[in-house]
Parts: sequence; structure tokens; C-alpha cells
Amino acid sequence: MGAVSLHWLLPGKGLTQEKVVVIMAAALFIGFSIFLTGFFSVSNLIGLVRNICVLGILGVGMGLVIIGRGIDLSVVSVLAISAAYFIELLGQGLPIWSGFLFVLMLVILVGAINGFLVAYGEIPPIFATLAMGLFVYGFGRSQLMGQDVAFIPPEFTTLLALGTLKLWGVPLEVFVFVAVCLVATVFLKFTKFGRYVYYIGDNFAAARNLGIPVRPMLVLQYVACALFASVAGAIVALNLQSMNTRIVNSTLLYDVILIVVLGGIGLSGGKGGIRNVVFGALLIGILVNAMTILDFEDTHQNLIKALILLAAIMTDTLLNQRDEQTEKQGDI
Amino acid sequence: MTVVLSMEKVSKRYRGATAVRDVDFELLEGELHSILGENGAGKSTLTKIMAGVVDPSDGTMRYRGREVSFRSPSEALSAGIAMVFQETSLVPSMTVSQNLYLGNEKFLNRLRGINISAQQFLQSLNFTVDPTALVATLGAAQRQMLEIARAVRLNARVLIFDEPTASLTPEEKHHFFALIKRLRREGVSLVFISHALEESLAVSDRITILRDGERILTDETRNLDRREVVRAMVGRSLSDTLYQSKSDQDIRPAGERILDVQDLSMGAAVKNNSFSIFSNQITTIFGLVGSGRTETAKVIAGIYKRDFARGGQIRFRGKPVRYRVPSMAVSDGIVYVTEDRKSEGFFDSMSIAENFYAALLSSGLHRRSTVSMREMRDLARKWRGEIGIRAINDDARVIELSGGNQQKIVIGKALIRTPRLIIFDEPTRGVDVAAIDEIHRLIQALADNGLAVVVITSYLPEVRKLSDRILVCRQGRIVEEFSPAGVTDEDIMFAAVH
Repeated sequence: MGAVSLHWLLPGKGLTQEKVVVIMAAALFIGFSIFLTGFFSVSNLIGLVRNICVLGILGVGMGLVIIGRGIDLSVVSVLAISAAYFIELLGQGLPIWSGFLFVLMLVILVGAINGFLVAYGEIPPIFATLAMGLFVYGFGRSQLMGQDVAFIPPEFTTLLALGTLKLWGVPLEVFVFVAVCLVATVFLKFTKFGRYVYYIGDNFAAARNLGIPVRPMLVLQYVACALFASVAGAIVALNLQSMNTRIVNSTLLYDVILIVVLGGIGLSGGKGGIRNVVFGALLIGILVNAMTILDFEDTHQNLIKALILLAAIMTDTLLNQRDEQTEKQGDI
Repeated sequence: MTVVLSMEKVSKRYRGATAVRDVDFELLEGELHSILGENGAGKSTLTKIMAGVVDPSDGTMRYRGREVSFRSPSEALSAGIAMVFQETSLVPSMTVSQNLYLGNEKFLNRLRGINISAQQFLQSLNFTVDPTALVATLGAAQRQMLEIARAVRLNARVLIFDEPTASLTPEEKHHFFALIKRLRREGVSLVFISHALEESLAVSDRITILRDGERILTDETRNLDRREVVRAMVGRSLSDTLYQSKSDQDIRPAGERILDVQDLSMGAAVKNNSFSIFSNQITTIFGLVGSGRTETAKVIAGIYKRDFARGGQIRFRGKPVRYRVPSMAVSDGIVYVTEDRKSEGFFDSMSIAENFYAALLSSGLHRRSTVSMREMRDLARKWRGEIGIRAINDDARVIELSGGNQQKIVIGKALIRTPRLIIFDEPTRGVDVAAIDEIHRLIQALADNGLAVVVITSYLPEVRKLSDRILVCRQGRIVEEFSPAGVTDEDIMFAAVH
């Protein structure tokens, strides 16, 4: 399989949505580098990569769930509240490690509840995780925290230093993103349970009949997704030395779904891989960065994102016509 | 007789693959024309071109003397050509009359008004159904009749049916053919696509046979017999051996009593069902659709749960078992091969190799938690040869294969899990003639190797060919047991319907 090889990019295998996204990303990158002053500079590229990392890590978790034909709308709440509550606990004088373990357990619990609601409660994932996301945000904001923004207390110098740490000039989170991608790729491609995710996403009933433990696997997917979301939360908090829980009300959640779908992981499940998330994240990251330099308003940014998504999906539909033999319910 | 519809040199190509090639076709007024052929012969594509569902790549079509090319099914319908789908184009949550007038509602609909006119219209067709009943509560036959009624109401002059009788009981078939007869008297032309050879020979005026997308012959039915038709369909003569009944000395003696079911109950579908299954032989369970045979099998395989209280008892190899999920049954060695392979049998967007590998991974035979591409390829090569799947390579996606090959994949996946008891539910449904024989031989070989084999079927020749022991299922329970020696088809059918 093409984990490292690039044979899929060669012509002759048909132009897929994935290739369209890669070509668009490359063209935009080259175009902005030449024509947009301030884009191709070290400081801007580092900022660009940072944005991609957060989006990408969230996207890996979301991608995992979507491959299993689910969706997780609670990721941004988990991102915000896990990091903010951790900072809150530090402020109350808890040692770093016990605070870390406690928050980790809460994150796993949230993911497991998502999974149980979907797998055992048989609630459609879109409702289960929407409710869970609202609950996590509401509970965290009203019961666990005093204010919207939690600042890392100045005495935790190591934590504050982590946020600006660079290895060979590359910010720490890049390594975290690469590690997350590697772990997820190895899981999906080379472990039995990773293959189960694809089988469950492709045909749930067939997977169950075959004897695949479908419900424990669903729980696992949502736990993994929540864990990735909290990793992304840690990165945001370390970067900004604080966590603003209002991020829940931003368009971040839609951006995450956007990069996953844009990259070519179909919402009908069983298709795509981590590679697709990375490409989706690159395209959107480059675009958002350039639009920020150009000082586009948010509303215009959303308009352009929408057009890009429509263009990618329409190209795919036109290039890979589905007939009644190959189409599946929920295909986009 | 006047020609209603004619096609000349019609072709349809899908990305390189040709589904229909230079086919000429003529439909006369008031005739019943059957189109026969193996799976993948192009029957569905040809009829979909007539109904405007599929655009032809080449060729011309004339309808009532005018050259036409329909861009959509609704255009064909307004011209008078309707295709009756298997219950797919009805809205289950609406009533009969609402469905009847679907798409022609007035801006303000009065339910009472359409109920009254629906009642009158249905009566004129001699079709007794309550217009206020929800479609969800209707049986397969009634839904089909409703589809026909809708087409008639829209003044359809050509009706196309895909496997019209596949899901009907004998009694429902009777009503169905009575309605067909009335329509023909009024000059409506009918096209049947069917797998049921005997029926086509019995009811149609003319038969067209397709093979590999080409027309092999069109002739009046009275000039044809069964053997000729099968030879034209498959290009060779194998009809004689296809459903040859088993001779009495070939009956395998019962081995160990491997499964013992006592008073099994599940909801309304299975009621106090008791029977036993033995190894070393093939037990067929004959029963009509809705007799509870599939549900019983699914309870045994852990796919459904039996009633919690008074659900009865299942003993497998002497031990009482109660499976909550299929994986428990699979690890004990009970495997169920589904009748509905598309929705619960295989992973359709994945390759042959990945499908086989799924079975190995989930079987418990694969102890490592990592996967290997080489292991997957070796497994696929081995099993593709073992069960004779004809595909270009192991990377072919399952959805692109013919029904016979798809069924073999589902069977291969079952065998990879080394079952002790294997239950085949309608193993040859929607499978082409050549593959039927191969699948039958596979099933026979399993029993010869000592497995306990159960075959659920509603096709009597299949019962005659495979059975070492016959169980008949009716209204949720096994009602009769026969030895294949000395029992007649009438005995079996009588037990199934009375």
C-alpha cells in the first residue's frame, strides 16, 4: 500500500478528489510564495505550520471516526475544556502529573460516553456527540471554571517554555503532529483493529456478522478521537499560554470536518486514510494563512472555504461518476 | 400485431466495460416478453434503457413509430413506459392512495377525495386493498400490485418488471398473474426479466435471451424448451445436471448430533421451534418467505437474540449456549451465510483480498494484532483458486463482480473461519446458472468432509439435489421432517403451505 510511495500521484489512475486537493494546495503555495509578499517568510511559514498542526491533529481523530462511518461533534469542546480545566487545576495548586492524569481520565471518560451512546445506545452519532459536546462545554464552563479564559500560572516556567520550544528551528507541535499521524497511520494500516475500523465503516452489518467486535471498536474510536482533541488542546494552550473556551463558538469544528471531507475521506465510511487529512489540512491551512495576510474578513474567508469544498466535491463527482451499481447511501 | 417499441443496434458501455452490445429488440402490443440471461448478461441495462433510467451509448429506439430518446424515467413514464421496481419507489410511511397519486398531487390535497377515487380505481383493477392502509403494512405482493396500479393509472402502455415473482408466495403469484392477464387484454405490453425459467416458459409469449451483452435469440415460447433456453443462456448444455435429484444411495447417514434446538422463540417470527442438526450431512430447511427460517438461523448464529424469558434452549455440541453477539458463535464454529449479501454479506467498496482478510482477522485464527499485506495476498490467492472466483485479480472491487462471484466470496469468507456448523441462507439466489452448479458442489464437498451443513431454500429442485434430510418450516417453526428417499415435491410443498 502507498504509505510512503507516491505511485498514486502518477497519471493514469484517474484524477481523484485527493489529487485535485494536492494539486490545488501546491498551486496555491507556489502562487502565494511568488505573488504575496510576506507569505514566504520564516516567521509566516512557522505560523502556517502551527495552524495546520492543530487542525491536522483534530482532523486525524475526526478522520478515524468518519472512516468508521461516525462523526464526532464534541471535539472542540473537549479541546477547550480539557486544556482549560488542566490549567485551572494547576492554578489550584495541583502538581502537574496528578492534574494531567486526572484530566486524561476525564477525556477518556467523555470519549467512552460518546462511544457507549453510539454503540450500545444506538443513538445516531451526530446527535450523541452534539449533546456531549454541549454538555462538556456547559458543565466545564459553569462548574469547573470561574471565567472564559484560563491562563497558565507564571510559576510553571517549564510549561511556558514548551510553548516556544523549537528543535532545529522547527516548533515542537510539528513533531507532535507528525507523531500523531504516524501513530494513526500505523494503527489504521498495520493493525488488526485498524482494519476493523474500515470494515465497520464499509458495512456495519457485514462486519458484525463476521464476528468483528463492532461495539467495542466504536467505543475505541470515540475515545481515540477525544484523546487527539485533548492533544490539540494542549498545543493551543501552550502556544497562547492560555486557553480561551470561547473557541467552542468559533468555526473550528466546521474547519475540521471540512479538511477531512475535502481530503477525500467520504462521509459514507470505509474510505481514505490519514494522508487525506494531511492534504486537506495543508490546503485549508495555506488558504486561511494567505487570506489572513490579505486581511480578508471572516465572512469572506468562509465564502472562499465553501467554494473550495464545493469545487473539490464537484470535481470528484464529475471525474468519478457513480452509477446505481457503485453508489452508497450517504455518499457525497 | 403492431410493434410498440423497437430498439436497433443499442449499446451501452461503462468505462470500458460493455454491458449491452448491438442489441435489436422488438415488443409487440399486448405481448408478454421475457428477457432471460445469466447475471451480467445485460438484461437490467437493456430494460433500463427502455425506461429512460440509463442512456444508451449507441443505437436508436422507436416507440409507437417515432424515434425517441428519454433523458429521464419521468419522460419515459409520460410517454407510457413504466418500470416496476421491487418495492423501491413507494413511500412506506404514506397510505396506499397517497402513493397512488404521488407526484400528481393538487396544490391542496384532500385526503378524503383521493381515498374515494383511489378506491374506485383499485376496484376497477379488481385489486382489493384498503386505500387508507399504510404501505409499510402491506406485503410484497400488494406493494408490487400497487406499483402496477400506479403505472396503469398513468396510462402506461409498456410495463417492465425486474424479477416480478421472486418475493411472492404461490397465492400472491396467482393474483399477480390474474392482473397481468387483464392488462394484456387491454393491449398493455409487458417485459419480464426473470431467473425463474419454468415460469418464463409457462407465461410468456416470446423470449429473448441475452449472453454477455449480446442477443442470442428471440423466438416464440412455443418453439422453445427448457434445455434449449439454458443452452442459449450459458452457451453450453448443463441443464441436465444442474438440478439432478439425488439418488437414494447417495444420501449421507447422520453423524454426531451437533445442534439441538428446543422451543426456540423470538418475537412473532419464531415460535417454539425445535429441531436437531447432525454433522456429516446436508439438512435443507424448506419454507416460504416469512416462515421464520432466516430468523431461526440468525438466532442460532448470534445475530438476533432469542426472547429473554421462554426463549427456549440451544445446545451446541452438548453445551447449552446463548450468544449475545455473532463473534461468540463464530468462535464456537457456527457460521451463517446470509441471503442478503449486499446489505450484510460483504464490504462492497473493498477488494476481494480485503474481504477474505476480514474473515481471517475476525476468526480468532489470527492471533497477532498486526496485519501483513503478504499474508492478505497469499490468503486471497489461495481462496480465489479454491472456490473458483473469476476475476482479473484480487484487487478487483467486490461491487464490480457478478452475483455468482460475489456469492462465492461470501461463502469463502465463511469457510476461512473453519466452521463446524455452516448455515447457507438461499445460497444461489441471484446467482447465474454456471455458478449455481459450482456452489452446489462446494456445499456437497463440505458435508463430505464432515461438516454439519444447513441449506435454507425455497426452491424445490435445490432441495431435491442437495438434501440428506429435509425440514419444512412454516409459521415460525419446523413442522415436518422428510427423508429425501420416497418423498414427492407435492408432499414438501403441502407441508410448507398448510
